[in-house]
Amino acid sequence: MLLSAPSVDISQPFFSALLALFAITLLMTVAVAYATWYERKIVARMQYRLGPTRTGPFGLLQPFADMLKLLVKEDLRPATADPVTFELAVFMIFVPAFLAFVAVPFTADWLISPLPLSLLFLVAVSGLSFIGFLMAGWGSDSKYALLGGMRAAAQLISYEIPLLLAVIGLVMVTGSADVYQIILFQDKVPLIVWQPLGFLIFLTASVAEVERPPFDIPTGESEVAGGVFIEYSGIRWSMFQLTSYVNMYVFALLGAFVFLGGWEWPFGLDVGWGYQLLLTVLKMSLFIVFYLWVRASFPRMRPDQLMSYAWKVLIPFALLQIFLNGLVIVYDLPDVFLLITSVGGALLLGWLAFAVVRRGEARRPLRMIATGQGAAARSAI
Amino acid sequence: MVLEQHDPALEVIDMPINMGPQHPSTHGVFRMVLVVDGERIVDVVPHIGYMHRGGEKLMETMDYRQGIGYADRTEYLAQFSAELCYCMAVERLMDIEVPERAQYIRVILTELNRLSSHFMFMGAFGIDAGIFGTSFTYAFAQREYLQELFEEVSGDRLMYAYFRVGGLAWEVTDNFVERCHEVLKHTQQGIRDLDELMTRNEIFMARCQNIGAFSAEQAVAYGLSGPMLRASGVPWDLRKDEPYSIYNRLNFEIPVGNYGDVYDRYLVRLAEMKQSVSIVEQALGQLPPEGPIVPEKMPRRLRTPPGEVYARVESPRGEWGVYLVSKGGDKPYRLHMRSPSFCNLSALKAMTIGQFLADAVVILGSIDIVLCDVDR
Amino acid sequence: MLGILRSMATTARVAFRKPVTIQYPEVHREIPNRDRAFPILIWDEEHDEPFCTGCHACERACPVECMTVVMKDNPKHATGESKRRKIIDEFWIDYGRCMRCNICVEVCNFEAIGMNNTWAGHELSRYDRSKLVFDLDELLAQSRAGKVDPGLRA
Repeated sequence: MLLSAPSVDISQPFFSALLALFAITLLMTVAVAYATWYERKIVARMQYRLGPTRTGPFGLLQPFADMLKLLVKEDLRPATADPVTFELAVFMIFVPAFLAFVAVPFTADWLISPLPLSLLFLVAVSGLSFIGFLMAGWGSDSKYALLGGMRAAAQLISYEIPLLLAVIGLVMVTGSADVYQIILFQDKVPLIVWQPLGFLIFLTASVAEVERPPFDIPTGESEVAGGVFIEYSGIRWSMFQLTSYVNMYVFALLGAFVFLGGWEWPFGLDVGWGYQLLLTVLKMSLFIVFYLWVRASFPRMRPDQLMSYAWKVLIPFALLQIFLNGLVIVYDLPDVFLLITSVGGALLLGWLAFAVVRRGEARRPLRMIATGQGAAARSAI
Repeated sequence: MVLEQHDPALEVIDMPINMGPQHPSTHGVFRMVLVVDGERIVDVVPHIGYMHRGGEKLMETMDYRQGIGYADRTEYLAQFSAELCYCMAVERLMDIEVPERAQYIRVILTELNRLSSHFMFMGAFGIDAGIFGTSFTYAFAQREYLQELFEEVSGDRLMYAYFRVGGLAWEVTDNFVERCHEVLKHTQQGIRDLDELMTRNEIFMARCQNIGAFSAEQAVAYGLSGPMLRASGVPWDLRKDEPYSIYNRLNFEIPVGNYGDVYDRYLVRLAEMKQSVSIVEQALGQLPPEGPIVPEKMPRRLRTPPGEVYARVESPRGEWGVYLVSKGGDKPYRLHMRSPSFCNLSALKAMTIGQFLADAVVILGSIDIVLCDVDR
Repeated sequence: MLGILRSMATTARVAFRKPVTIQYPEVHREIPNRDRAFPILIWDEEHDEPFCTGCHACERACPVECMTVVMKDNPKHATGESKRRKIIDEFWIDYGRCMRCNICVEVCNFEAIGMNNTWAGHELSRYDRSKLVFDLDELLAQSRAGKVDPGLRA
């Protein structure tokens, strides 16, 4: 077992694994609670206002105030809700999110379990949560919840595919499906340089997997009323919200590791765990700031537009990326070809994805009329 | 096991969904019952009347000074338009001429009010489209500057009651012109911000283009007015076509759209905001530096001769009109307020059927209704 | 592609602006001189009595009928201290009904009523709606304490 804090006796692998799991869960719970704090602060500044300022200095005690409020709320359950699905739905969403941390290497020495297929494990486990959404939607016995649940399931399943395909491109380039090995591969150059198209696809698909705006149909829409979580209250509802943030952390960490170089680039393996942890946190923060930024800036996509974006745009481009990788590997071209082809693909994606909005001829601009037409306008129609 | 063709347990129906009187979408108390088939809307039944307060009947008990406060509360986002129309109706009946300085100040304040009403639209529309709240805070920061100006002049931030029959209640403040220029600078920055945030955003365009499209013939047939009519391609604006007050001395353009969809309505309102800024600047330049604000021969008690009159103005939502029947005396015999929100809302069903469920919110937002006006 | 980058650039630009938030209640915004909060009665320092004579002009003019006025013979007139024959006896204004239209101020012949243009006129929350009916002493309190702004009669 690899938890190398010198003051703890870790001769027993089972015990140390348990300790590590406990530490991670506690840490991530606090991290997620404070994610609510900095999200509110940062998004508020983008919206020209302050975030929480009164509960504690700079509103730092706001997560505790929220937690306290949610704990003392009445735990409602609709009379006609299906008890099993209703109760279990929360856990079906909550547990896979935390389970993903088993395979995440925070620094070179700090991980719970070195899996040879940790990349696959991460994507697979975070994909389990759609069952929870379906269960919540069905078990709530409410039309809005049902709609939200259906849409959530459709969205999550659809965006799994481009996510996985983008990541498979990486597997092809590095030759390993282990996040640890992929990080070690990036000692000179981070993989974002070789796979910019894959990076863009991963970015978009991860925002959709976390169900954040602009892809927040399940949690924001259903006529702007809350969607899947409409019948949950108190601590159950807060578990949904926290799970959303845990997912955000998982994908931010994954992105930081496989695309931005993790804790290895640029300093290499020789620095201590402090620097490595700092790099991990910094790179993860870049992703998180991007998620928050996008939340404050974009409107929501309509469900059918969302689906067509995944199936008609992202998946073909992800397959294109794999094809280009394959070409470069099979014909043993120099690495720079990876960069060129991928950048070309990324530009094509950028142009195409938004050219579809302007399909057909360009929209005629407004006319500006300078004089009134009086009765002539009335009789012309 | 083979499922029967008409197994009652597998009956497929269209699902009715209630978007109830309490909306998160800041439009007021309005209820829509949507019948959806999957994601497509099959039928819409709007229910109004939650804010009905018997306004027109109440106005029969108020004389021509008391009624101004009520006109404010009916059209609570474009109050000066409502006050202007009411005063114009009584002035026409009594044949009173409003002095020039009062006219200029009325137009300046009405156009600034148009700006604040359109800012409200921008903010609420961004939320309907799904922006988390950014457009709303930007818009309300700008409205705050305008409301501060109005408070300095009239005394109240929202229900001004500043116009009177014959002119204004009292003179504007000494630094009115400078304050207006200050506020306009902030306003132009706000318009730029909202423009950059929303207009060219591809997701926003995909949400708004070709949604709820109305042709020019349909728009005229439904009796639409204001930005909705102009977005459909009909170049009708009361400030140009039946100029009232001093609009014929000002140089401005009216934006006319081509497609009549939600995106065109948004663009028309955005362009109108820019035109309003230009109108205010021109009017401030032409404002006579001194002059009376009520006519000299102003009767002490406002008694109208028997008769009837219909006066209308171009409010930010469309044609706001007052039909006044008087049998002598100082109170109206019957007063009807022609509400643009009510008439525009009647087109909701035709616009929404056949669209997706998520578009219903956006279409309702683009009509820009004021519930107090719909229900009076 | 460029459109969404433009939106993101706008939010990023705004994030670095100074927010315009005023931290009420520690900081109060300055109210303009003409602000129309609820009506209050004015105290006549010279004659040590209210200006109001209870003539019912404002009560009749009020669109929402929120005032109740009772007048009485002025004891100070008999002794010659004051020129007012009648003086206000009881005066109630229901602040829950008042719509702050300023008509009562305009019709008053004695300039006895004015709109409160200080923060005290805005911070009037009560737990019970019946406590929003203010009687004569409460209406005169602010003027007697001298906390009345000269711009009151604008």
